[in-house]
Amino acid sequence: MNFTLKVWRQRGAGERGRFVIYPARDVSPAMSFLEMLDVLNQQLVLKGQEPVAFESDCREGICGSCSLVINGIPHGPDRGVATCQLYMRRFTEGTTITIEPWRAKAFPIIRDLVVDRGALDRVMQAGGYISSNTGGAVDGNTILIGKDRAESAMDAASCISCGACVAACKNASAMLFVAAKVSHLALLPQGEPERATRAKALMKAMDREGFGSCGNQYECEAVCPKSISVHFIAAFNREFLRATVAEPGPLTEIPSDPHAEFR
Amino acid sequence: MTRLFTVLLTSLGSKVVVALTGLGLAGFVVFHMLGNLQVFEGSESLNTYAAFLRELPILLWSARVGLLLIAVLHVGLTIRLAIHNRRARPVPYAVREYRKASMASRTMALTGGLLLIFIIFHLLHFTAGVVDASFSDRLDPRGHRDVYGKVIHAFQNPWFVVLYLAAQGLLGLHLSHGLSSSLQTLGLEHPLLNRLFRAAGPLVAGIVVLGNAAIILAIALGVLRA
Ligand code: HEM
Ligand code: FES
Repeated sequence: MNFTLKVWRQRGAGERGRFVIYPARDVSPAMSFLEMLDVLNQQLVLKGQEPVAFESDCREGICGSCSLVINGIPHGPDRGVATCQLYMRRFTEGTTITIEPWRAKAFPIIRDLVVDRGALDRVMQAGGYISSNTGGAVDGNTILIGKDRAESAMDAASCISCGACVAACKNASAMLFVAAKVSHLALLPQGEPERATRAKALMKAMDREGFGSCGNQYECEAVCPKSISVHFIAAFNREFLRATVAEPGPLTEIPSDPHAEFR
Repeated sequence: MTRLFTVLLTSLGSKVVVALTGLGLAGFVVFHMLGNLQVFEGSESLNTYAAFLRELPILLWSARVGLLLIAVLHVGLTIRLAIHNRRARPVPYAVREYRKASMASRTMALTGGLLLIFIIFHLLHFTAGVVDASFSDRLDPRGHRDVYGKVIHAFQNPWFVVLYLAAQGLLGLHLSHGLSSSLQTLGLEHPLLNRLFRAAGPLVAGIVVLGNAAIILAIALGVLRA
């Protein structure tokens, strides 16, 4: 198969970027999208040119590092898969394929198609964890929970933090990410004790990192490689309201950015 | 107090206020439309209703102040949210394809802004009476302000017909996304009721637009006369 690739090239965060056109010839329909880019990069290297920087690691849809906006859709035309699980047979012969990075203020571009998703990590550092004592670990199934609840928690926990929800959102909001993380822990007994502080802390952290607000357009759900439902956003909204009303917390606030040292 | 503000100024806190005030405005718009439909019962009915609304100054002014407060909160917070949202994506995509986002949801700021301009115009037109100098307030035989005559007079003018019908289109778009969206923002969601919640916006918006447009068209087409 033959394609014309229109690829975003940018040397660094502060630099001006632009699209560069590359022909992709004799692409096997069985190649994954990233393999097609690997071949392109080999050709560029042979020609003495700078290869296109893009991110990948597991190449089986579980690590969340591949992150390309393909023809205007994060992770490309297939639903419920990451970029690395996308195959060239999915494209129409001879067409132009536009490849862009995730675009958001919170995700500054490092190079070409690689963005810095540290903002998502800092949101997690604000409270996306449970506190537990060290020492002998408790037996796995000591606290029993219902099957339905376990399934719901697992649905939320399937988030691979790729950031496609942010990339797809008109407002570059990270609400689906935050909602999935908060819901996952709030549904489990281990997450219960800190659920109110967690909901509030993650909300503030999301705003602090410069993500937008949720406009309920549900584009996030439609591009999520794990098809995480916007039902979790409604659940998070309830969680935040509950936390605000039922557990307003101490009058002295914790400093606004407890992780300033990591920046 | 500061704690309240820190909550309300988080993006979700603001959205909750926008949703509540939006629902308040939506409620007003529905009752406004139902009240207006009395034009089909003739001048006596509409003028008596209009007089009743103005009879109690306390009621009138608390409703006006309340609506103004709601509107100011709604508009003020959406402008603030819209600015943040613009900043959240400084470099736009060259190619963008939407899978789910409806036309209405993508134009909320536009339809909202145009609605604001229309609402100011509408108040100057019917409430303050400064837009159309060709009609001066007069009393009907029973001594009430002749609101009926004023409405008929307005929509016999094709310019007002076009303008008000266009405004109905804007209102319909804004409400159709806004109403369902505010339910989600408030966390009102349930597997058994989701279809209802998502249909609520377009349904209510459709009813309001049909009701209001019926009045405008009935007068414009000469079904209702002075
Ligand atoms: C009769 C008048 C109006 C009604 C019934 C109404 C109703 C609503 C409702 C129910 C929402 C949804 C809130 C949510 O998604 O949580 C909304 C959102 C919005 N409204 Fe209005 N509104 C009205 C007038 C206005 C005006 C005059 C503006 C002018 C600036 C405006 C701007 C917006 C914007 C920008 C949003 C989207 C907020 C967001 O998604 O972040 N609205 N409106
Ligand atoms: S490379 Fe790991 S999810 Fe795509």
